[in-house]
Amino acid sequence: MENNGQMLVYSSSPHKKAPRTTRFIMINVCVALIPACIAGIIFFGYLAAIILALSLISAVISEFVYLLICGMNFKKICAQFDFTSCVTGLLVGLTIGVNYPLYAPVLGSMFAIIVVKMFFGGTGKNLVNPAIAGRIFIFISFQSVVTEWILPSGNPVTGATELTGMLESGNLSSLSLLDMFLGRNLAGCIGETCKLALIIGAVYLCAMRIIDIRFPLIYIAVTGLFTVALNGFNFAYFLPSILLGGLIIGAFFMATDYVTTPNTKAGNYIYFFLLGILTAGLRQATGMETVSFAILLMNLLIPLIDKIIINKPFGFTKTKKKSVKDN
Amino acid sequence: MSIRKGKNYPYGIHIPDMKYLCASSPIEVMPAPNKLFISLSQHIGAPAIPVVAPGDEVKKGQIIGKESGAISANIYSSVSGKVLSIEEIVNGVGQKQKYIVIENDFKNEEVLFPDMKDFEAQSIIDRIRLAGIVGLGGAGFPTAVKLSPKSPLEILVINGAECEPYLNCDNRLMLERTDDIFKGINYVAKALNVKRIIIGIEKNKPEALEAFSKYEGFEVVALKKQYPVGSEKHLIYCTTGRKVPVGKMPFDVGCCVQNIKTMIACYEAIELNKPLTEIVMTVSGLGINSPKNLKVAIGTPFEDIIKYCGGLKENTVKLVCGGPMMGKALANTVKFASKTDSGLIALSGEECSVAQPSNCINCARCANNCPMRLMPMYIESCALAGDFVGAEKYGAMNCIECGSCAYNCPAKRALVESIRFAKAKIKEAKQNGK
Ligand code: SF4
Ligand code: SF4
Repeated sequence: MENNGQMLVYSSSPHKKAPRTTRFIMINVCVALIPACIAGIIFFGYLAAIILALSLISAVISEFVYLLICGMNFKKICAQFDFTSCVTGLLVGLTIGVNYPLYAPVLGSMFAIIVVKMFFGGTGKNLVNPAIAGRIFIFISFQSVVTEWILPSGNPVTGATELTGMLESGNLSSLSLLDMFLGRNLAGCIGETCKLALIIGAVYLCAMRIIDIRFPLIYIAVTGLFTVALNGFNFAYFLPSILLGGLIIGAFFMATDYVTTPNTKAGNYIYFFLLGILTAGLRQATGMETVSFAILLMNLLIPLIDKIIINKPFGFTKTKKKSVKDN
Repeated sequence: MSIRKGKNYPYGIHIPDMKYLCASSPIEVMPAPNKLFISLSQHIGAPAIPVVAPGDEVKKGQIIGKESGAISANIYSSVSGKVLSIEEIVNGVGQKQKYIVIENDFKNEEVLFPDMKDFEAQSIIDRIRLAGIVGLGGAGFPTAVKLSPKSPLEILVINGAECEPYLNCDNRLMLERTDDIFKGINYVAKALNVKRIIIGIEKNKPEALEAFSKYEGFEVVALKKQYPVGSEKHLIYCTTGRKVPVGKMPFDVGCCVQNIKTMIACYEAIELNKPLTEIVMTVSGLGINSPKNLKVAIGTPFEDIIKYCGGLKENTVKLVCGGPMMGKALANTVKFASKTDSGLIALSGEECSVAQPSNCINCARCANNCPMRLMPMYIESCALAGDFVGAEKYGAMNCIECGSCAYNCPAKRALVESIRFAKAKIKEAKQNGK
């Protein structure tokens, strides 16, 4: 027969698969971060662009170099490159300030990719979010060198930021809510000040069905409400506690990372709820911005959550459970 | 009766159904080819025992393989002609089966069963057993066994969902042979002694829903278009609201699920006195030149079917026997139409993904979509690590192999393959343990 020479692929069902791949998802996360990058460059100038480029490139190069050292050939690395390191690199760049020395983003990305991701087995095997770990690495390493945050105008603010100031002194910030939302006159990291840009990206991710909007919203709402509760139920704290600091970028882009979220819906509700409590509690207790620390700590709890909470099979009944125990 | 809406079941996936390829082409009868290869194990259970020898003359409808044991089925010749040989062949899906090879003499002489003396429940079941009817939806479980439950049943559920993409044959049959199906259903309901009959049809077949709504005596349920609504347990839930408990069978909740094609076979056996010698299948996919719904004689080589449908296109990368979600890939075209085949799908490169699997990114898409609410990624990692106790704990044995998990996996992991492997190992361990 005429098609006899044709090679037929022989593999297990299902034979049709959705077109979506890991690479597609990660490219879309990068796309969703573009508004934040642009806003950062507009507010903080060309230095922001340089930092972003450095962190992005060093993240990608770290991955390639690591795999090359591991003995994988270049073509294969390119073929399986899934853009997760781009996401990590961008997030590392977005979460540091422009006053950091230029080798900070390079070191941060390298740490995030090599130590946190590749040492554990690459994409999907890391225990904690590499970008978060990278950010904390930079934050701690440069604590003594960099003690101030930069305003968009270029002037440094020493010591307390708007958020920590508010939490420590108990005085509400003098900034208007609109300023907080747009990031005007707000000191902070490159990517976390302009909430508008971040929310545009988040809406894009939801529209592409990459993240489930419920969970970051739970996180944000719980953080806000718990801050309110800790401050004597003064609802004036609600919006500032959400809009100041890194909560928005953390909630939409870092806490929702697939690898470091529980694997069940129920587990996710618990995870994001606890995350909110922890963030607000730590902020109040330490007077520091603690979104990344909270996410890091909760990441370590995920294996436990996933162990305890697993889906119950369709048609699951109590009696079945008993019989399993009896065995 | 009016059409009722089915109960909503939130877990499942949405697949482009691709039915347009041949949804409106009527069923064509494909002439029987020169040579037929009729398998002796077209059902679950013991293979039939050949009762003819090479050189024998057979007529269409003459018994050539006799059931052996309680769970088995008779096999009939689908043409008149001469038995050439009885040989073992490894077919394209990798099964080694015994085939009776018959040369068609094109005389078309046919033998029929005698008329039924009465239409009592037991005579109906006996006739269904005699005619070698098995579940034609793909499982191939002997229908007569299914119709003799240990405890009385309440509901007969007819599966008209046909939720697999591409497949159209049930839909066409529902439109073209509504009356016959109706009669078949009534006989089966009588055999089961059930009062309530429900037929579940996916919403994307409005004509079929319409066609059945004119009959009195049973409920027509419009099901949400969602894969895999046609799986037994989900069909029962969506049509009756009953949940089949883990590890139990439909008859434990008083239901019996039957396929559309099985109903037609029952009708033909009972009223037309014909054994099961023909099946209706969909030949489709972007890789075949002219997609068709065909009625073929059992034993027809797939090669002839492909030729009849205009041959394969250059871009075909995969041949699938059955639907693309649960069917089996063919390594070559050595396969012969059997009772349970419902489709032959030629997938072109653009339709089927042959991407290499990468690391699981823990996105939980598989778990969120699994209609059985399992944790496919854990079952897979346990199976790959050789921890089959763990695989069982995460529900491997409840898996219906629907493929919803692997369909949506962005890392393209071969989840179903690993789960199947785990299931086989768990079964093996249990047998050794006993
Ligand atoms: S684990 Fe089994 S039942 Fe669940 S989606 Fe995968 S194949 Fe279907
Ligand atoms: S869908 Fe694939 S990548 Fe996502 S959790 Fe399941 S196995 Fe992993």
